[in-house]
Amino acid sequence: MLESGLSTGARLVLDLLADEGVETIFGYPGGAIMPLYDALLEHPLGHVLTRHEQGAAFAAGGYARSTGRVGVCVATSGPGATNLITGLLDAQMDSVPIVAITGQVRTTVMGTDAFQEADVTSIAGPVTKRSVCVRDAADLERTLRAAFRVARGPRPGPVLVDIPTDILKAVVPELTRRAPDAWEAAGGRPSGAGEARPSGAALDAAIALLRGARRPVAIAGGGVRSAGATQLFRELCARLELPHVATINALGCATPGDPRFLGMLGMHGPKAANLAVAEADVLLALGMRFDDRVTGRPDRFARKARIVHADIDPSEIGKIVPVEVALPGDLRATLALLLERLRGASHVPVFNGWAEEARAQASPLPADRVPAGVLSATGVLDRFFALLPPGAIVATDVGQHQMWAAQRQRALDPRDFLTSAGLGSMGFGLPAAIGAQLAHPERCVVAIAGDGGFQMTSSELATLRRYDLPVKILLIDNRRLGMVRQWQELFYDKRYSATDLSDNPDFVAIARAYGLRAEFVAEPSDLDAALTRMLASREAMLLHCACFPAENCWPLIPPGASAEETLGPAACAATPLEPAAREATPLEPAAVVAETVYA
Amino acid sequence: MTLDLTLHDWRLMERVVGLIGRLGCAYTRLDVRAERDRYRASLDLVGTPDALRRLDAQLTRLCNDDKEMSR
Repeated sequence: MLESGLSTGARLVLDLLADEGVETIFGYPGGAIMPLYDALLEHPLGHVLTRHEQGAAFAAGGYARSTGRVGVCVATSGPGATNLITGLLDAQMDSVPIVAITGQVRTTVMGTDAFQEADVTSIAGPVTKRSVCVRDAADLERTLRAAFRVARGPRPGPVLVDIPTDILKAVVPELTRRAPDAWEAAGGRPSGAGEARPSGAALDAAIALLRGARRPVAIAGGGVRSAGATQLFRELCARLELPHVATINALGCATPGDPRFLGMLGMHGPKAANLAVAEADVLLALGMRFDDRVTGRPDRFARKARIVHADIDPSEIGKIVPVEVALPGDLRATLALLLERLRGASHVPVFNGWAEEARAQASPLPADRVPAGVLSATGVLDRFFALLPPGAIVATDVGQHQMWAAQRQRALDPRDFLTSAGLGSMGFGLPAAIGAQLAHPERCVVAIAGDGGFQMTSSELATLRRYDLPVKILLIDNRRLGMVRQWQELFYDKRYSATDLSDNPDFVAIARAYGLRAEFVAEPSDLDAALTRMLASREAMLLHCACFPAENCWPLIPPGASAEETLGPAACAATPLEPAAREATPLEPAAVVAETVYA
Repeated sequence: MTLDLTLHDWRLMERVVGLIGRLGCAYTRLDVRAERDRYRASLDLVGTPDALRRLDAQLTRLCNDDKEMSR
């Protein structure tokens, strides 16, 4: 029993997490982190036991992406810590605030190759904003507070704090409660973000460029989401009648139904979005980083455009493409200042004519060849999004289904469409949906996964069961690593290497083995009813859709190409469907029983 | 290009060196000096202008996070 006013390092960590507003942490115990898990037994902080540390990191990411709050994951030393790394890099690439806490071997044996020792602060260095080891208990509180500040921003991202066992066991003064900080006062915006604003001269230069523009286009990036600037972005586009597009991290930023929104920009974006940017004379790039999946070849990207780039991170400005006007600073402040200047201006340009012209390029998404009577993945997703209730949260995995979903999603808010964009990490979908469902217990949360990615983290089905989380899983099974297969077809002379997953397990049986409801569908005529049952389910449910194996994702701008070189189904039109694809035999799991609930 | 950095955590030199290599640059001189609660690093760097510009921007970001972490 400790004297009054004293605590242990472990208890202090938990108290501090609660004091920072954390309600739930995601983790997996092990030797070096045991003092923390022991203290957790008497602590009100919620804990979700995932079945792999990578699941914990992705779940923390899903929690953070869907709320804007810091997600917290916990793991032990050595393998526990290294298993977090992919999830941390995912958060780093997409600017998602995460604090990872790892146990470490005791300070006296660090550096001796002790059991489960890993130099995780060095390993995590390149995949985090900061990665530190606390070697003195007196530094624990200060370091953890700093970790939350740095994770929140100004540009959010992951921070790892490694804590040796003896520091967790150390007797320390009780936590000093903090006063609510600027982050809370600002409604959950990244800390320090509001202080950074572009200069008046730069704002004037941006307005002048817009005034002189004939074909301007606005691009929303993930920074719009991070800054909480969605409404201001919508207001700006409406005020100027500005055609606009979004990167995959900003889907949901546009006003739903706004005809000036042309869709997702980049490799699998619709023709109208990419052509508008290719034709633009001024680009207003907001909180985006000109990723290669967006630009293709940078020297051929938006060649006619003068670029205004607004971003909280000055290191992103001019990194990939030359910028004419730089607006470094908080995007919410930047957009508010731009709107203020437009309100005070005697002449405000409107671009409705150009918006209509850009919109005229829009066409239905090209469909690939799929034999009659067989489910197509795009057909499944078309019906899924048509039936999905408004306000639902969708988390995708990575691959063809991710791009098909991104093309079809109808998110009302950028925090409603969760995807591993920058890293493209398979295995993300299910654990991210778990994190989102915990943050939003009242909402419909669906994970869309392919058969490849699903098997990377399918052990998290146990997490759904344990916590009775009603996450729905739409499994698009084409028995292939579809995106890689597509690239092999297009760019590797149809040499299909290691992309055949035709020996997939019986996914329905797997879900049922975890105690979850599951159904199988292979007939197009059964699809709507199955989707409806899944979406209406009050409990977790997996819907296994057996889809045509050789369906490709269109449109596609080949890597390193430009919007003008977009490929469609004609790229494969002369190609006979591969033999395995032609057979298109629907899967027949051992026990195909509609709407059977595991008893 | 000569770059002067202030670091609060000397272990960040590992990240600095890693980033130099990652961006295809190299250092031809590297001095690090301890000064009470911080470290001054001075580097002479070679690389393409684009790479050096990106490196400079990334190191600035790294040092800003380090400064915040040390607060």
